[in-house]
This record gives sequence, structure tokens and C-alpha cells, in this order.
Amino acid sequence: MTAPFPTPVADEEQRLLSPDELEAALRDIGARRYHNLHPFHRLLHDGKLDKDQVRAWALNRYYYQAMIPVKDAAVLARMQDAQLRRIWRQRIVDHDGDAPGDGGIERWLKLAEGVGFSRDYVLSTKGILSATKFSVDAYVHFVSEKPLLEAIASSLTEMFSPTIISERVAGMLKNYDFITKDTLAYFEKRLTQAPRDADFALDYVKQHATTPELQRKAMAALTFKCNVLWTQLDALYFAYVAPGMMPPDAWQPGEGLVAEKAAAAGGKNGPFEPADVPRLPRGVRLRFDEVRSNHVLLAPERTFDLDDNAVAVLKLVDGKRSVGDIAGELAAIYAADRSLIEADIGVMLAELAQKRVLER
Amino acid sequence: MNAPTPAPVAAEVIPAPVGLLAELTHRCPLRCPYCSNPMELDRRSAELDTATWLRVLTEASKLGVLHVHLSGGEPTARNDIVEITAKCAELGLYSNLITSGVGGALQKLDALYDAGLDHVQLSVQGVDAANAEKIGGLKNAQPQKMTFAARVTELGLPLTLNSVIHRGNIHEVPGFIDLAVKLGAKRLEVAHTQYYGWAYVNRASLMPNKAQVDESIRIVEAARERLKGELVIDLVVPDYYAKYPKACAGGWGRKLMNVTPQGKVLPCHAAETIPGLEFWYVNDHSLSEIWTQSPAFNAYRGTSWMKEPCRSCDRREKDWGGCRCQALALAGDAAATDPACSLSPLHGKMRELATEEAADNPPDYIYRTIGSNVQSPLKEKAPL
Repeated sequence: MTAPFPTPVADEEQRLLSPDELEAALRDIGARRYHNLHPFHRLLHDGKLDKDQVRAWALNRYYYQAMIPVKDAAVLARMQDAQLRRIWRQRIVDHDGDAPGDGGIERWLKLAEGVGFSRDYVLSTKGILSATKFSVDAYVHFVSEKPLLEAIASSLTEMFSPTIISERVAGMLKNYDFITKDTLAYFEKRLTQAPRDADFALDYVKQHATTPELQRKAMAALTFKCNVLWTQLDALYFAYVAPGMMPPDAWQPGEGLVAEKAAAAGGKNGPFEPADVPRLPRGVRLRFDEVRSNHVLLAPERTFDLDDNAVAVLKLVDGKRSVGDIAGELAAIYAADRSLIEADIGVMLAELAQKRVLER
Repeated sequence: MNAPTPAPVAAEVIPAPVGLLAELTHRCPLRCPYCSNPMELDRRSAELDTATWLRVLTEASKLGVLHVHLSGGEPTARNDIVEITAKCAELGLYSNLITSGVGGALQKLDALYDAGLDHVQLSVQGVDAANAEKIGGLKNAQPQKMTFAARVTELGLPLTLNSVIHRGNIHEVPGFIDLAVKLGAKRLEVAHTQYYGWAYVNRASLMPNKAQVDESIRIVEAARERLKGELVIDLVVPDYYAKYPKACAGGWGRKLMNVTPQGKVLPCHAAETIPGLEFWYVNDHSLSEIWTQSPAFNAYRGTSWMKEPCRSCDRREKDWGGCRCQALALAGDAAATDPACSLSPLHGKMRELATEEAADNPPDYIYRTIGSNVQSPLKEKAPL
């Protein structure tokens, strides 16, 4: 049918949404546009990228991480209310830490170092794709220029991040032997920080988007932010996956890396293999603490509090069972996938071994 | 009606202690000028008997203690050290022997192993034998220590080397690291001197300068990376050059109890330097009563005793205001902010003092001795 005039805007699109409808609409944006859907992330999480492609991701994403506190400071600078600022400033603390060596940016640097980069190279931001910088800078400009409601709404991608983080951590640990749990420490923190931040921002938006127009602007802001994230992955895909067109100044495999001694040390410090037989050396004891009703691992000058998973594993560590045996028993008890458990406890045991409270 | 008194601390909100420092004796063949024992040392005749120690350990276990640090003085100077260790094993307490490795230590080591000893922490005063023996004040100590360490690892016991760092051995930090690896230690403590007790008296002889301290930290950090999975290195940085203080003993009355040779129970080993505190004895009260009710443990527990800048500081439950004994010694008030904290008004003076002392020629050591009448050569007799 041919319509001589533009389709009239339906009343539905100008209606004031209830707070719950607004939340549903915002979540729907994430369900359709969040970057967990991007082909690059699918490759990353499924173990389809090679080490250099993972490196390119870690390096470029550093620029985003490093600018987050700058973005949040810009948001903060526009808040007239001390109570709001007190809440928002926690984001800056989370990223910058209270001292050198602390905070989210530092943990991202650890991740970049974990995949082989020299810290100084990452800090220099040389080699980061221009497209990454353009899109991140656009985000900082956005929050500085738009009304506060939109600035806050643009942060709402945090609502969707716990899903992607769980997928990412599990996928990367399973699929890349050069990735350890230590390397991914950044995400562990974000699992608790992001929902806290998102809850606050979501409440704020639901409370302050009081007209249809403001609600549409909040939704547009979130869409914009999804695009900031999406575009970065487009650029990575284009330069490092297909067609592989690397801009002249971009990082090239081999650049900015430290000599690969970590790989050589892998035998000693790497995850436990299914055939490895772990044992607690003399001077390390698993004990039930009756006063506090929990299990602890007692070791020279320190006590390790253990979560239930660690207790279940350590109870089976007897110097006879291999990692494979232990995974098998746990898989039977918890009706879980044995190979996943093997990978998981291989990493956990390696962490204890690095602290010199476990041997193989 | 009444003058306001501090609210009593309810027993159920006080978390149980995790560690017991059992100072079994003050007797020691070494005479280190930074010894953490008090200036007035207990004599042998005043020491608790075996039965009392065994009772104290039982009470500690019931109270929730997990680690027992068998210390002194030299703990192997006690004839009942094996019996005491066996009691720890029986109770499931983790036993840690903190020893100089000299005197009778080697002779008793195998029996201690059989009794179920969990861990040995061996002090090393230096790497170069002559230097080490000058610091420890005992000739021929170094070869004894090396033989002792070799036997510890031969038995399969985990070994930690503890090196107290000061201007007389700070150049040996790389050597300590190599020595720990060579001896098969799993842990090394590079512990910069804490200036209480004998170390306070000898501060001018011990204080390194800032550049030396920074260099030592750099060396440790590099070694940690290099020796990952082989050697764990714990670093204790010196207060005088720090930005924030350390939580003394993990916070006053929070983690640790310290029983002296004569049975006095302290929140930290230097607590007796604070006048007016009432300490209880294991002969008069159970450990549980002492932990929850004794005036000394409640005096600086928690945060309600704090003054500014601690009271409103968001680090107040991280470092618990730092060290009360150092606050008393340097600020003249045990409830003041530890001057090691950069937020203390006295912090600048404290650092100046350290810088000046480190620049001067070091005076001779005043060695630790039982029954001495010591005069400190420090310029300030009164607080800063």
C-alpha cells in the first residue's frame, strides 16, 4: 500500500510509561543492542580468537577503562546534590582505588599484563585504535553536555553486564590456557559493583524521567551507550579478525610485549592438570573451626577462610587422588560437568600452590 | 549523676581471637638490640609452670584460637617445650615455633617434630656471619642457625626465615632472599624494625634512611615476581617512613592475645609500656574472661576511644588508629593517632627525627640483657 503521508506517530509512542514499563523498555534496549551480542564477543567467549586477538581486545578496552573515572568525574561535576555525589563518587573510587596498586584500572592493567603486555606500553595508549578512542571520547563528551538524567541513563549498560561477565569469565578460563583467574580479577569485582551501581542509576532514571519526552531521552541515552560499546568491537573486528585491516598506527602482534617467561614458568605456576596429584604439605592443615562453625586452612602465619567449593575440593585432597579423580567425585555429587570442574579446580589449586600451601 | 563512663563492651559482640602469642620465657642466648621483649625482662623463677601453660592452651582452643606462636625469648630454653607442643597438636592448635635456632634448639628439634610441630620460624640477624653475630651479640651463632635450618627442611617441616631489617643489615636484603632460597624456606619475612621496646632505645643505631628503605622495597617486589611459586616474601615496611600506620596486632583486642612468661595477658607485646592499664593474669582469670572483660583489652578495643583525626577517618576500621604504644611514646597520649600516620599532626616531626638519626653516625648498640638499667641515647626523652 502506498501512503502519501508519513505514518502518523502512534499514541503509544508518546504515552507516559509507568516506572515498571520504563524499566522494561530500557531492558529491552539491552536485550537487542548490548555488546554481548556482537560477533567479536561470541568469538572471544567461545575460545575462537587467537592470543593476539585477545591481546588486541585487552589493549583497546584499557582505554575505555581508563576513561571511566574521567567520565564519572564529568557526571559528578554536574550534580548539585551532595547526597548524589557521595553515591556517585564511589564509582571513581572503585576504578582508581584508594592507593596505587588498587582499583579497577589497576586490575585491568593486570589483565593486560597477564596476556603479555608491558605495563608501560599499555599506559602509553599508543597502539590503541583511533576508533576506540573516538567512541570512548564521545561517551565522555556526551555525559558532559547532555542533561544529568541522560548522563545517568547512559550508564545503565551496567544492568546487563553481570551476564556478560559470567559468560566471559567462564568461557575465557575454559578456552584459553594463557588466561588465569588472577588475570580476570577485574571482572570478579565488577560482578558486585555493577549491579549496585545499576540499581541506583535505574532508580534515579525511573524517578526523574517524569514526562514522555524525558523517558524517550533516557532510552536514547542508553541506546547511545550501547552503540559506544558496539562500535569498539566493530573496530576490533575490522582490524584484527576480518578483513584484518589494521590502521597504520595500531598495535601489531609482537609489539609492546614483555619476554614470554611466564609461559616458561607455566609448568610450575600454571593450572593443575587432571593427572596432577595435589597434596597438602606438612604445616598446612584443613580444620573445622568449631567456634566459628566453618572450615579453615591453617598454614604458616596465616589462615585461609574457605568457601564451600574449596572445602569440598580440599576434603578430597589426600595426596592420592588426582585432579581428575576429585573432579569425577564432585561431578557425581553435584551432577555437574566434569571437565568444567576440572578446569575450575585446576585454577583454584594453582592459586593455593602459588601461595605455597599446596603441592603437586 | 555519674561521670560518663565508657559503655561496657558486650561479650557476645567481641569476635574470638585467632592467635595466641605464648612468650614462654624471656631467656635467650641472643641479645638483639631490637628485641620486642620489654625492657624489664621476667626472670626464670617468675615463669609459669608446665601445668599452667597446658591449661592456658586448652582455654585458648575453647575460646577460638587457631594459631599458637611459641615464642620468647628462646622458647626451646624451656624444658617442657616438647610437652607444650604436643598439647597444641592434641588440641588441633597450629603450632609455630619462633626460634633463634641456637642453644638447645637443634637438640630438641626432632622431638618437636614428633610431637606434631607445624611450622618453624627461624630468625636470622644477617647474611654475613660476622655481621649477623655482631647484631645478635653471640659468637658462633650463624653456623648453628644454618645447621638448624638444614635439619628443619630435612625433616620436611615448613621453614620461614625472619629477618629484622635496620641500617646494620639493610644492604643484605638481596642476600636474605638468596639465603631463604638456598635453605629451602617457603617464606621469608623482610620485617623492617618496629621501634618499640629495645628497638626504641636503640633507634638511632638502627634507623635506615628513606632511600635505603625504598631500595629494599624495590628489591623485595622484584624478587616476589621472580620467585613466584617458590618463595613467599612478606614485607613489613617501617612506620617512620609510612603514609598510614599498621593495624597493631590486627587491631587492639581483635585477633591476638599475648601471654608473658609470668602469665600476664597483653593485647600486644609492648602494651605494658602504657601506664595505667590493668592487665589480668592467667592465674587469676580464664583466658575467656580476660579477652572479654579485662580492662586492658577493652581500653582501646573498637573505635569509641578514638580522638580526631581517627574518629571520623574512613580508615579507622582498617588500621584501628595504628599502634597505641607508639602513640604514647611519640605523642605522649596512648589514645592519640599513631604519629606513623600522615594524618597525625606529629607525622612530619617523626619523619624528620628518623631522617636526622639515619644521617648521623650510629651509636653503639645497647644489647638486650636481663636486669640491666638502660639509659637510652635518644635525644628526645619526652614525646615529640
